[in-house]
Amino acid sequence: MGMKITLEQNAAAVTECADAINDKFSGSGISADIVQHSNAKKYSFVRVVTPPQHWQALAKWMKFDMGVNYCSMITGTHYPEGPDERGWGLAYHLLRQPISNQRPDTSTVYVAEKMLGSQIPVEFEVLINLPNNDAPSVPTVQKVWVGADWNEKETWDLVGIQFEGHENMFRVLNPLDSPDGFHPLQKQHKIRYHDYNEMYDDAQGFVRKPADEGRVK
Amino acid sequence: MADTGENFAAFNSRALVEMVGGVTDEALKATKIKQFLSVLAGRFFNWAGRKSLFTLHLGIKCCAIEMAAAATPRFDGDRFGVLFRSSPRQSDVLLVNGPISKKFADKIVRLWEQMPEPKYCIAMGECAISGGPYFQSYNILEGVDTVIPVDVYIPGCPPRPEALIDGFGLLREKIIRIGGAPSSGRESEKPIIVGDE
Amino acid sequence: MAQMWITMGPQHPMTHGLWTLRVKVDGETVIDTEAELGYIHRGVEKICEARDFTQVTPYCDRLCYVSAMTWANSYIYAAEDLLEADVPERAEYIRLISAELQRLASHLMWLGAFGPDIGNLTLMTWCMRDREMFLDLLQELGGSRMHYNYPRIGGVKRDIPIGFADRMIAKVKLFEKRIEEYEMMLDESTIWLVRLQGVGYCNAEEMVEAGVSGPNVRAAGVNYDVRWAHPYSVYDEVDWEPAVEKPTSVKGADCYDRYRVRIEEMRQSCRMVLDAIEKIPGGKNTNYASGDEMIYTKAPTRAPEGATGFSNYECTRGASQFYIEGGGEGRGKKPYRLSIRSPMFITIPFVAKTMIGYKVADIPAIMGSFDPCIGETDR
Repeated sequence: MGMKITLEQNAAAVTECADAINDKFSGSGISADIVQHSNAKKYSFVRVVTPPQHWQALAKWMKFDMGVNYCSMITGTHYPEGPDERGWGLAYHLLRQPISNQRPDTSTVYVAEKMLGSQIPVEFEVLINLPNNDAPSVPTVQKVWVGADWNEKETWDLVGIQFEGHENMFRVLNPLDSPDGFHPLQKQHKIRYHDYNEMYDDAQGFVRKPADEGRVK
Repeated sequence: MADTGENFAAFNSRALVEMVGGVTDEALKATKIKQFLSVLAGRFFNWAGRKSLFTLHLGIKCCAIEMAAAATPRFDGDRFGVLFRSSPRQSDVLLVNGPISKKFADKIVRLWEQMPEPKYCIAMGECAISGGPYFQSYNILEGVDTVIPVDVYIPGCPPRPEALIDGFGLLREKIIRIGGAPSSGRESEKPIIVGDE
Repeated sequence: MAQMWITMGPQHPMTHGLWTLRVKVDGETVIDTEAELGYIHRGVEKICEARDFTQVTPYCDRLCYVSAMTWANSYIYAAEDLLEADVPERAEYIRLISAELQRLASHLMWLGAFGPDIGNLTLMTWCMRDREMFLDLLQELGGSRMHYNYPRIGGVKRDIPIGFADRMIAKVKLFEKRIEEYEMMLDESTIWLVRLQGVGYCNAEEMVEAGVSGPNVRAAGVNYDVRWAHPYSVYDEVDWEPAVEKPTSVKGADCYDRYRVRIEEMRQSCRMVLDAIEKIPGGKNTNYASGDEMIYTKAPTRAPEGATGFSNYECTRGASQFYIEGGGEGRGKKPYRLSIRSPMFITIPFVAKTMIGYKVADIPAIMGSFDPCIGETDR
């Protein structure tokens, strides 16, 4: 049979991590919760909410004291109609992946059901809310996790959130000569033909607008 | 050659060749053999060209996998003369098999300009024809024929390898018609779409 | 010796996709590299903000076009987290079978492209011939050779056809013998071993720090597979083991280890598929109608504002993740933000750094052994 981390192991590991964060950082605006997925096997993960000024300290503690060694995804979102304290949102998805060392020509047999304590992988989601202004910025964690480097470049390129202290920022996906200030995932940029009735006069799309008459496409 | 003085026709070989060539040319033109030979040569080059279409080794997106599948044992494009070349200077056909982004637009024009005449372009897949599922994107051109002239369109997402081989067949029929006409003068041609009849 | 930058530009027969690799060479030795991506950036994340949740599935097929079924499944799990949908067990088995068949086809495509990089042109024809077997099976399920649009939120679109089980068992058993043919051709070939062993060492710890996952990191002895660490679907009920290679040196895994890991993964996929088709609830030769409750549960179509969905899935090249925020246009029928994590986006700059110190002729071996697919990198 295929091995797997059981629900009990997952629950125990997640509770331990959330308690550790709450004990260490209580009272500074950082809070950790246990949230359950509604898909697949309905496992749980740790959701941490932090204000931007404490993010670097939290990141360093998570990396070096809790062993969160894998930064997998950074998502930036623009909420132009949000409340004043939440105009931009950042979600960092991190992973504690404990198995990372193997001496050559040896192999350790891991039985998932027998893993204990900090050997169990745990998913983390760190949410940072930024105020609703035109210059969102967050301290960088480029030096903490290697995986955050290109993810932060992509978030700046597409969404426009500045990362203070990030070295060698450049456009990774958009063309290098894109105009300054062009960050396509912001909500004021609409996709081409975002209302289908821009191109056609009727709902079924048979009658082209006069300006589009004779166009091949 | 020492002497260039008295016997220039005998010792100056370059002038000799020119003189002989001029006489032969007049003779062929007078008897209409030259006209016959040039028609024959044109037909021969047309046959040779369409039976060995060297395609540029360019794989943009998913249709490139079907292009690769068309070169593999089950569909075998090689029996039709379709061979993939790495350099644009050595290829006849530019097979565009994916969406063209703004970053890649001037590079594909550069590739097209580097190909020597006669050259042909096939737009394979929806993304190359009109932008495909990404027609609303901020970064994708609405079809490759906004930047280079296209001869054959192969619709599909992705088109099956059989459709790609059919597209090459329609291109061969077009080459019989237009021969080695330069690619810039082909706008008046009706667009050829695979599966149109 | 003069140093110069060479551009292995977007149109290149060896780069497995459209990206630029600039290498700075001192004679024949590589001393610095730079990777430039973005040539097929399509803005899928922006386009999906104007699509219903069901209309997003074809876009996810086209992210990594070589292993489309696994990416579609990955998105569907995230949408099910957001919309809180249940999936019947038979549908989970069918998803497992389709994902593992896709993994086989994808690894064969990798081997078929990797062989010619090293110089072994026979591999291209053999691997593509065998891949056609699995594409036929996936075509029976999904209707097309690539880009099936097969999974649905709450199940799958169609049940497995009658006779599919027998055809699949016959083909997989034939393929298990073919893997031995591949090993015989490659593992006993001096050229193959000399070109791959000792080339492209990658340290396990550095890989995990950088966020590399999947077979690339399992080649260094790191036993991390999302299928058992964050389980989903019915992988715990099916007979399999994660394919992990012992690294041969303190410097980490070389290209040969990464090649061996994928051969072992192909064997494990064959084993999983043969086991799953026997254990599927409802029998392997029954065909339920589309929409039947054995294979599909009707799912809600709107997600309220503030709801989020996240999925962690083992795609062929690593761990892919989707993060969806609800509350978009159409009063919640469309996602507000859809974010895609591609394993290759992190691996490609890492691979570019790995090449430093080796010769120019080793670049195809190193690059090919990491199995890049640019479609998922430039979403």
